[in-house]
Amino acid sequence: MVASTVPPPRRRSGWRRRAEPYMHLAPALLAIGLTTLYPLVSALITSFRHWRLNESQEPGEFVGVDQYSRVFTDDTFYNSAWVTFEFTAISVVLSVGIGLGIALILNNRTRLSAFTKALLILPFAVAPALKGFSWRFMLNPDTGVYDKMIDTALPFVGDINWLGDPFWALMVLALTEVWGWAPLIALMLLGGLGSISPEVREAAKLDGASPWQEFWRVTFPLLRPLLLIIVFLKAVFSMKIFDQVVTTTGGGPGRATESLNFYAYSQGFTFLDIGYASAVSWVIVVVLGALAALYLIAMARQEAT
Amino acid sequence: MTDTAVKPEPEAAPRQAPPPPRRRPRSRGAWATVRSVARVLTTLAILFFVLFPIVWMAITAFKPARDAFSTSLIFSPTLENFAAILGGASDLTSALVSSVVVGVATTVVAVPLALLAAYGFSRYRFPGHRAMLLAIVATQFIPGVAIALPFLTLFRSLGLIDTHLALVIVNLSIVVPYITWLLKGFVDGLPTEIEEAARIDGCGQVALLWRVITPLAAPGIFVAAVFSFLLAWNEFLFPTFLSRSDAETLPVALMTLVLPEGVAWGQMAAAGLLVMAPMLVMAFLVRRHFAEGMTMGAVK
Repeated sequence: MVASTVPPPRRRSGWRRRAEPYMHLAPALLAIGLTTLYPLVSALITSFRHWRLNESQEPGEFVGVDQYSRVFTDDTFYNSAWVTFEFTAISVVLSVGIGLGIALILNNRTRLSAFTKALLILPFAVAPALKGFSWRFMLNPDTGVYDKMIDTALPFVGDINWLGDPFWALMVLALTEVWGWAPLIALMLLGGLGSISPEVREAAKLDGASPWQEFWRVTFPLLRPLLLIIVFLKAVFSMKIFDQVVTTTGGGPGRATESLNFYAYSQGFTFLDIGYASAVSWVIVVVLGALAALYLIAMARQEAT
Repeated sequence: MTDTAVKPEPEAAPRQAPPPPRRRPRSRGAWATVRSVARVLTTLAILFFVLFPIVWMAITAFKPARDAFSTSLIFSPTLENFAAILGGASDLTSALVSSVVVGVATTVVAVPLALLAAYGFSRYRFPGHRAMLLAIVATQFIPGVAIALPFLTLFRSLGLIDTHLALVIVNLSIVVPYITWLLKGFVDGLPTEIEEAARIDGCGQVALLWRVITPLAAPGIFVAAVFSFLLAWNEFLFPTFLSRSDAETLPVALMTLVLPEGVAWGQMAAAGLLVMAPMLVMAFLVRRHFAEGMTMGAVK
């Protein structure tokens, strides 16, 4: 009471001081742990057990790795793995390519560019499920507004039944994703371009570099670390594709657009085979986990430099 | 008047006078014109690419049913699609309510947890600091099915299937890690002097967080709240797994407009506008923070 005149920062006993940071983290870590670790562990256990919801409400006997060997001998699984890979490759290339193009075009101080930059974020905010419906509507082969534009502008491509054709159905799916991501990637890259000092580019120009050389020799190398992160993030998010598959194609035509997440969903939901679906979902966890590890290592390295 | 007064000056030193700032040299002539025209045209193309799907859905929402498939812009605007989805033939009101309830509840639970954790990560160094931060990033890589399936069976046995509570719990798996990262960035940027001053004045930890940190971090808290609402609102996989009808949120309820005889596109567009309009406004408000949030602090 008397000591209150000049209070030095109060000395707490050792364990309290050490526990203090963890007390701040505990609620969030508990919430994250319960909602991520619990299901992961539970799914891992279930993946070794026989469990069909139409047979029993309770998990059945342990069957070892049976369900995993079923995964790896199932053509439908390989099909969805391939579909997911194709989808990821297409949407990464298109999103990053178009995003970079948009960023380079808008990297100036005109009022039109400023206006456009402010609106770039909008597509990303549209629910992915809705993006699926929207593009499905606009590419309706009889009445869709994009379909009509394409028919008018490029009559030689013929009348394509976008969602009826395996290749185009996957492209449409990728487009729904590219529409949201390319502008967002452009925003990220505009941030990166802004941090490249204008003098560097000026110097290249004074040395007689053409815009083409200036881009590949100066701008691109400086953007590369950022581009790598973006490519990586986009790839991981693409691999988790689910919403638009449901709302745009339903996996069809045939199984041409069945992604891994959709495959696991249909096994668990349509066929009520929880055990098998858990095994499938753990295969996805391992694949994404490996990628996550790579990402975190790269991030840690970047932090170190 | 001023013209005549100023004019002689440049003539006095014609060569040495620096060119007026921020003016492109005129000498490029035709080539520069071509380039700036090309720039305007490509920018307009970008605007079209970005905005057209949104605009088209908004237009379709106000079209009478018989014109939904017409690409003509001449029609008599109607509210019949909105009437149909809000209390009419294909009522989505309860889904709208669910979306709002789940979004608000997720935000109210997630933001305080995340702010507390963000403060802990930002102001303390302790064993496991980096590992925990990286673990939080790593959670973003977990595929949704791996979370939804075990919760499906758990909630079935607890009788929580098709409840708002179930969706809020599962949403935390995405929202808390994301906004913890976001808020850590904000708290990192707050000056520590005010906190130290408050400490010296005898401010306890709880009071410090509530009276000092919360007001200082208010802009960040707003951004985090917007993001958590947006993530919960747009979520599709979890409600697909965990709700049937009572707790169905809007994005999932869109599926009910896919009728056996085809999609009711006019109503779909109206419902779509309902799903998207609030998010467009929110995203516009916090647009500066999207890039940094997305890359989870990896990009500065």
